[in-house]
Amino acid sequence: MSSRLNVELNRLSLANPILVASGTFGYAREMAAYANFSKLGGVIPKTITPQPRAGNPTPRTVETASGMLNSIGLDNDGLDAFIAKHLDYLLSLGTAVIANIAGQNADEFAAMAERLGQYDKLAAIELNISCPNVSHGVDYGTDPAKTTEVIRRVREACPLPIIAKLTPNVTSIVQIAQAAADGGADAVSLVNTFQGMAINWRKRTPILGNVIGGLSGPAIKPLALRMVWQVSQKVKIPIIGVGGISNIDDVMEFLVAGASAVQIGTANFFDPTLATRLVDQLDEVVAAEGCRHVSELVGTLKTK
Amino acid sequence: MSAPAISLPGCVPTACQQAVPIVAHDQLAKGTFRLRLACPEIARQAIPGQFFMIREPNRIDPLLGRPFALYDTYLDAQGQPAGIEVVYLVVGKMTSLMSTWRVGELAEIWGPLGNGFPLPPAGRLLLVAGGIGQTPFLAIAREALGGRQYGQPLRQPAGQPQQVTLCYGVRSQEYLAGLEDFSSVGLDVQIATDNGTRGHHGYVTDLLRAQLDTIVPDTTVYCCGPEPMMHAVAKLCAEREVTCYLSLETPMACGFGACFSCVTKVRQPDETWDYRRVCVEGPIFKATDLYLG
Repeated sequence: MSSRLNVELNRLSLANPILVASGTFGYAREMAAYANFSKLGGVIPKTITPQPRAGNPTPRTVETASGMLNSIGLDNDGLDAFIAKHLDYLLSLGTAVIANIAGQNADEFAAMAERLGQYDKLAAIELNISCPNVSHGVDYGTDPAKTTEVIRRVREACPLPIIAKLTPNVTSIVQIAQAAADGGADAVSLVNTFQGMAINWRKRTPILGNVIGGLSGPAIKPLALRMVWQVSQKVKIPIIGVGGISNIDDVMEFLVAGASAVQIGTANFFDPTLATRLVDQLDEVVAAEGCRHVSELVGTLKTK
Repeated sequence: MSAPAISLPGCVPTACQQAVPIVAHDQLAKGTFRLRLACPEIARQAIPGQFFMIREPNRIDPLLGRPFALYDTYLDAQGQPAGIEVVYLVVGKMTSLMSTWRVGELAEIWGPLGNGFPLPPAGRLLLVAGGIGQTPFLAIAREALGGRQYGQPLRQPAGQPQQVTLCYGVRSQEYLAGLEDFSSVGLDVQIATDNGTRGHHGYVTDLLRAQLDTIVPDTTVYCCGPEPMMHAVAKLCAEREVTCYLSLETPMACGFGACFSCVTKVRQPDETWDYRRVCVEGPIFKATDLYLG
């Protein structure tokens, strides 16, 4: 792939801006039939927690208008199993691997990052300070001071580049993104899912086993775009846009709004070859726009 | 700490995603349709008990694919697999949309997915279906009776069952779908209806109990249907120490193991349970391996 797509997100260098979002790509081995891994800018496997987690009761997902709600609840086998079962495979794929981690407090985040920091072939660590399904709605990433603190602690513990994945379920996403920058994040991923719910009114029951869940898919794209644009106006660190991206026009909208890279999320579920195809399509659009480099398109939104 | 080995028998490394033409679309029963898709690459690989995710291309509402079991493959003039058929009941937004699809239009499909049924065993094979749960049984019956081989390479049954019977229960006779197809493969079909409009007036589990009460050594049961019915079948089989496999259907977003939606409780060696993905560890499970709470 041409060098006009390579991306620098402070300490993190990627071959191109097309990443796949945590929780939507398994541990990559599930996607081997559909994706050409070495073509992607990088893969972000499912969130790892310090200890195994069974996850939330079923049903865990339900489709809603042009989107879906999920309440998976960070079902994973824990950090030891991730390192033993998945890490070698992931590091053999010929693409950047960004490990996504979630702890319950700064100590846990720092301890996990320290451990993963020993694997210098990892491209970066993404901090899931935003999962809406594990904390009854009280998320680490809703508090600016805690956000700064956890990122500062992880930076001290781990030499790898750090991405903070933020929740949109806050009053001011700009304030939280600035807090992440203050803590030393190399980039922010905007945004995780929006809290929502679905109801079977005839039975008077919630549809999800966890009652509430996180909304993703094309339905949230305008909401995510708004947040990317607002943060890009105020905060100096690079943005990775994520939220409902399903085609090349969606990718371009996020870049123009101010994202330097993007993550494909829910679309991996219903169009598993999409992320791979988008890399070629992006290269074509960059050329067709007469740009020498994709970065020339980032943040080019014109407002009066 | 040593990690358990990764075993994903239903993760198919040669599966593919394609937009393929609809070549036939016929109503079989009330709200029940058979959809034939031209997809030789997928059809050559598919084995009975596997499934596909299907959706309308370039549409975001409905958004996600829906899982459908292999009903059967169909063959070209040279006798090679040319495509697949699925049978579906209209129950929601996606199946309502599908019922409007016309021959010549494109459908998006990915698969084959899942582990599929074990090879038909020697002895007696009882296929137990409830509601729209009959759809995975045409291909396994055809394979068991020596009518067709499936998979790439073609899988080779060790021997043929002496007897293959389908016990098929529905609410009412107008929902009986595919009886001609089942009869054409030489299958013994027994019917139950909840309202008595056809066959036995009662549940399909009554038919199964009668079958199990006739002593035939080496009986194996394959079952697909609503959850309470599958639990009842698993219990009947457990009481008689008959091997029983269940084909599960759980809500799934992707079908290939990425989303962790479709989990079911699987027994662990220490008598606890763990959530496991139906799409890549199933959808066919030995009933005794499941934690049927």
